[in-house]
Amino acid sequence: MEQDMQDFAAEARRFLDAHAAKAPDRTAVVWGEGDDSMAYFSSLPPDEEREFVRRAREWQRIRYENGFGWITGPVEYGGRGLTPVHDLLYDAVESEYDVADTGVLGVIGLGMIGPTILAHAQPHIKDRWLPAMYRGDAIACQLFSEPGAGSDLASVATRAVREGEDWVLNGQKVWTSVAQHSQIGLALTRTDPDARKHRGITAFLVPMDAPGVEVRPLRQMTGGADFNEVFLTDVRIPDDHRLGEVDGGWTVALTTLMNERATVGSEGVGPVAAALSPDHLSALMRATWTWDDRALRARLAELLVDVLATGHLNARALRKLRSGVAPGPEMSVSKLMYGQNLTRAAHFVSDVLGPRIIADTGRWGTYAWTELLLATPALRILGGTEEIMKNILAERVLGLPREPVTTAAKEVRS
Amino acid sequence: MTADESELRELRASVREFLEAKSPEEAVRKLMESEPRFDPAVWSQAADQLRLPGLAIPEEYGGDGFGLVELGVVLEEMGRALFCAPFFATVLLAAQALLASGDQEACARHLPGIAAGRTTATLAVAEDHGSWDPAMVSARAVPDGDGGWTLRGSKCFVVDGTTADLILVVARTVAGPTLFAVERGTTGLAAEPMETLDATRAMARVTFDAVPATLVGAQGAGGRIMAKVLDIASVGLAAEQAGGARRCLEASAEYARVRHQFGRPIGSFQAVKHKCADMLVQVELAEAASREAALLADEGSDEFPVAAAVAHACCSKAYMVAAMENIQVHGGIGFTWEHPAHLYFRRAKSSQLLFGGPAVYHERLLDRLGI
Repeated sequence: MEQDMQDFAAEARRFLDAHAAKAPDRTAVVWGEGDDSMAYFSSLPPDEEREFVRRAREWQRIRYENGFGWITGPVEYGGRGLTPVHDLLYDAVESEYDVADTGVLGVIGLGMIGPTILAHAQPHIKDRWLPAMYRGDAIACQLFSEPGAGSDLASVATRAVREGEDWVLNGQKVWTSVAQHSQIGLALTRTDPDARKHRGITAFLVPMDAPGVEVRPLRQMTGGADFNEVFLTDVRIPDDHRLGEVDGGWTVALTTLMNERATVGSEGVGPVAAALSPDHLSALMRATWTWDDRALRARLAELLVDVLATGHLNARALRKLRSGVAPGPEMSVSKLMYGQNLTRAAHFVSDVLGPRIIADTGRWGTYAWTELLLATPALRILGGTEEIMKNILAERVLGLPREPVTTAAKEVRS
Repeated sequence: MTADESELRELRASVREFLEAKSPEEAVRKLMESEPRFDPAVWSQAADQLRLPGLAIPEEYGGDGFGLVELGVVLEEMGRALFCAPFFATVLLAAQALLASGDQEACARHLPGIAAGRTTATLAVAEDHGSWDPAMVSARAVPDGDGGWTLRGSKCFVVDGTTADLILVVARTVAGPTLFAVERGTTGLAAEPMETLDATRAMARVTFDAVPATLVGAQGAGGRIMAKVLDIASVGLAAEQAGGARRCLEASAEYARVRHQFGRPIGSFQAVKHKCADMLVQVELAEAASREAALLADEGSDEFPVAAAVAHACCSKAYMVAAMENIQVHGGIGFTWEHPAHLYFRRAKSSQLLFGGPAVYHERLLDRLGI
């Protein structure tokens, strides 16, 4: 196994060496030089966003043509037929290179929706969409959350009603990343309002250009719009676009959610890596003449202990991966700590900067931190709130019992 | 020598089996109220059957030549079992001080006995103020005019100080802090037990009234030796802390699964569930930090000093959090003398502060990061 992994990593390196440059060290800092952006969300102007998506599609096509586009996928759909451990290992190797960010295709579409289509769609639907998605031609979004169904996803209320060979969908979805770029969406709908709530759900693949699908950008507290609301009004979907059984959509949703995975070593990526870099934080304290402040030093030390320990956790998970062992609970822990560490870093830096973070003095590396500060509340919510993550850790790792369903909740569900 | 993953698992299993048989809670409770605070028969078995004292001592001095990774596995298990034995003082403090001194004659003289489990030893640095900074030492050593040295002063917080066969002492000379060796029974040496918050780790006040002592390493090398020893000892301590914290987490999760209130297991309430999840996060970080530091030490990496400071701080906090929350999850029963939770609480607090506590280890980390 270990040899197999080494061979695979070497093959990935040969491919990447031929098509990409090594990534620059984003943690190295010369105060006052370079880009001082601390953006966590992209929030680009429209023309730059189009270029961003084009580059993502282009890099995904190169991956696909070289056998790295769908590492875990079956060979007949252009996949490699390898394990999720190979997939994680490829991500880790690729993170050492300066390649286009394919998050717009990858995280939801290729990571979660693709495997769901593979598991539950009819053959001609798989033929139609799977190679297109993994070649970078089609982008998919997840039409799951609703205003009334957040952490409690099984309470979705978007209706689907059968009319002959078609279904007619009506309802509202929210927090839909990349909907504005997507060709298809995976929607959870309510087909039997009288059944217990997990039993009356059906999943459909919705062509995003179908009449009645309206995507509206949702402006978030950072000022940018990285999510959307999707309104479905009398949207007709043929029955062959159904995934799984009628009223069997919860099983389909579980396939999607089980493919939601933390990526290893993600703390080193993007401009926010600087927020967790001892050198950067130290340079900031020097530039603001606060390096000898005892209270700030104590807080910095406490923060760095957790940042560096999380780094050790990631390093160990990555090493396990390289020897062919899937990481365990440490990946959920790593995700929780990443959100908490970035949040603490943003508030620590705010306190170091003082008034310089409430109004822009024009000085390099100061007011730019507002971008991170305003993004951090999202890190404790998206992809499963901190509270849900803790439930999962306690139930799946420590074996604590699930919360019993209360009488009131039973009445609502029945 | 380096053990692979499956050998480490075997080592862990055999140490756990040994400690479950020889150091159950009843044994710990009996020993913490006796003098000495360890069972010499069990100590001999740990040496003869499992070769534990010699595990990380170089082969040329009669040990098995393994590193801090292997030692870390043993220490996690000892921390988990609150094993009462002179292992930490002998292996992590004294043996490491001898090795760090580079004094081959002293190593050849003392390490084989330590490796075989015949000699127990300790390291006396801190005085009344409790600081392990060699610059703060006021005990003095002067040449006796005959090639030897005479030691005067007193030391506190000397782990296993009343029972150690060999005491290594940092004392001041004209050249600066210097390491000396004093053997048990030497004239002028007196040790009395201190009352300790954590009764599973014995400490003593040791006084030196014109005690003849042997120089170990170079004169004035005490500062350099201690910097090395404290890094290794704090990573060893971190492993013990991670093991203890893991045990507290397991005890809390076990109890939360079976204890019923309001007609359901308390672990089904999110207030309790999230507390346990928070403990799990701390324990996972602690294990990663201590194991990674041990690995970097064995690889001779220049990242080791930073990693050692991270492991010490991270595991100190994790153990304290786990030990406190373990009592909280247990409620009233966790506050009783009969329940083991307080033994872990005492060990957690005592370990956190042994080498100075947060004020010291936070600055040490920043110093190593150049901040």
